[in-house]
Amino acid sequence: MSGQFAYPQDREQSSAAKVAALESLLIEKGVITPETVNKVLAYFESEMTPLNGKKIVVRAWTDAGFLARLLADTPAAIAELDLPKGMVGAEGEHLRAVANAPGVHNLIICSLCSCFPWPVLGLPPYWYKDPVFRARAAREPRKVLAEVGVHLPEDTEIKVWDSSGTARWFVIPERPTATEDFTEAQLMELVTTESMMGVALAGARS
Amino acid sequence: MKLQHYIGGLEGLPGPLTLDRRVFAEEWERRILGIHVAMMGLSGHLGSSVPAYAIADVPTTFRDMWTWADLRAGAEAMDPFDYFKFRYYEKWLSGITAFLVDKGYLREDELASRTTELRGQAARPPGARLGVAGGTVAIDEQIMAYLRNGDSPRRDVAHPKFAVGQLVRIANLPAGAHTRLPGYLRGRSGTVAQVLEGDYAYFWRTGDGIGDPMPVYIVEFTPVELWGPCAEPGAQTLYAELFEAYLEEPA
Repeated sequence: MSGQFAYPQDREQSSAAKVAALESLLIEKGVITPETVNKVLAYFESEMTPLNGKKIVVRAWTDAGFLARLLADTPAAIAELDLPKGMVGAEGEHLRAVANAPGVHNLIICSLCSCFPWPVLGLPPYWYKDPVFRARAAREPRKVLAEVGVHLPEDTEIKVWDSSGTARWFVIPERPTATEDFTEAQLMELVTTESMMGVALAGARS
Repeated sequence: MKLQHYIGGLEGLPGPLTLDRRVFAEEWERRILGIHVAMMGLSGHLGSSVPAYAIADVPTTFRDMWTWADLRAGAEAMDPFDYFKFRYYEKWLSGITAFLVDKGYLREDELASRTTELRGQAARPPGARLGVAGGTVAIDEQIMAYLRNGDSPRRDVAHPKFAVGQLVRIANLPAGAHTRLPGYLRGRSGTVAQVLEGDYAYFWRTGDGIGDPMPVYIVEFTPVELWGPCAEPGAQTLYAELFEAYLEEPA
């Protein structure tokens, strides 16, 4: 076992060279173009970012009718908003919103892999893909949440959603108190990727 | 029993957790994400997907099927120790490379020699470095069309066997090379919380019963049912979204 977890010293340089070699060969062989990877990355950097999710959450906070429609038919409600084309595209085909409320806290996990609502939040951060998080959040979500700063009363029901099928879940966090005077831009600043997957509260310093 | 199918609920892992908010840990990881997405957008099955794409007309030399199911099956095929040892995108890089070599898109030796050649060079756009002519805009257009329009597994009207409120038992089928049934649910009893509208296909037939369009359910479980008397105390419900092939009548 001693060598089982040993890494070569040039671990990252080796992967970097290998992926560069792979990309250049795929271009030469006509699989992709010299622009392909950059275009894909630009899509996630400029259009499919957590900004979309922030807009959805703030609308849900400020429009109870929208929140009700969002929970009943998430894609249809999202289509009402002025968001980039592609909200029902890759990994957005079956978006499902769930809402936190007094006494209810939702947590999204993917115990088998890393299913994530790309159009709403972009690409998943490392914590979501971490096998330790995926393992522990299924069995002891209250403890895991406390470790990352979300301390819930015992009688607050934690709903854990394991993304094993076609739905890509995300959370509408609770609107923090004393934000009645906030502008939409100020409200959006309270919303994070973490709060939209249930491992943080909106407005929490973390 | 394969560890990768039983990640959910695995005990003895370290805490406390901290949240690593990075999407990429290393710059090179961006490139393999891009290659994977491109291959999904050029996958041969998109000619008959929902929506359907004119994939046969796209001037790429890629002519195979590449989907999440293929990437996941690769991760599930790994030595479980390696699964924990390597970072997320390291697993992608090895899985995707193995597929491309296996299907003949590149040879091990040319990849090795190109890798050696590029070692230590600052990352430069490969196209610029190689002076490859563009002119195959339609490839990128197809990939962007896939990103914006997706690949929905939703098919026909469902004829579900089970109804909301019904008690069901989760099947304990041999998982084979790939499954969408989390190990910790096997043999457990739950209650149908929702029946999804429509039937849902999966990218290919997994060998444990999914693939062809079938109803999908959201099933709710109590912590005590899943984890026994040592379950975490407090109000808690776990919901999983499961294909009908994974559900049985209660024992």
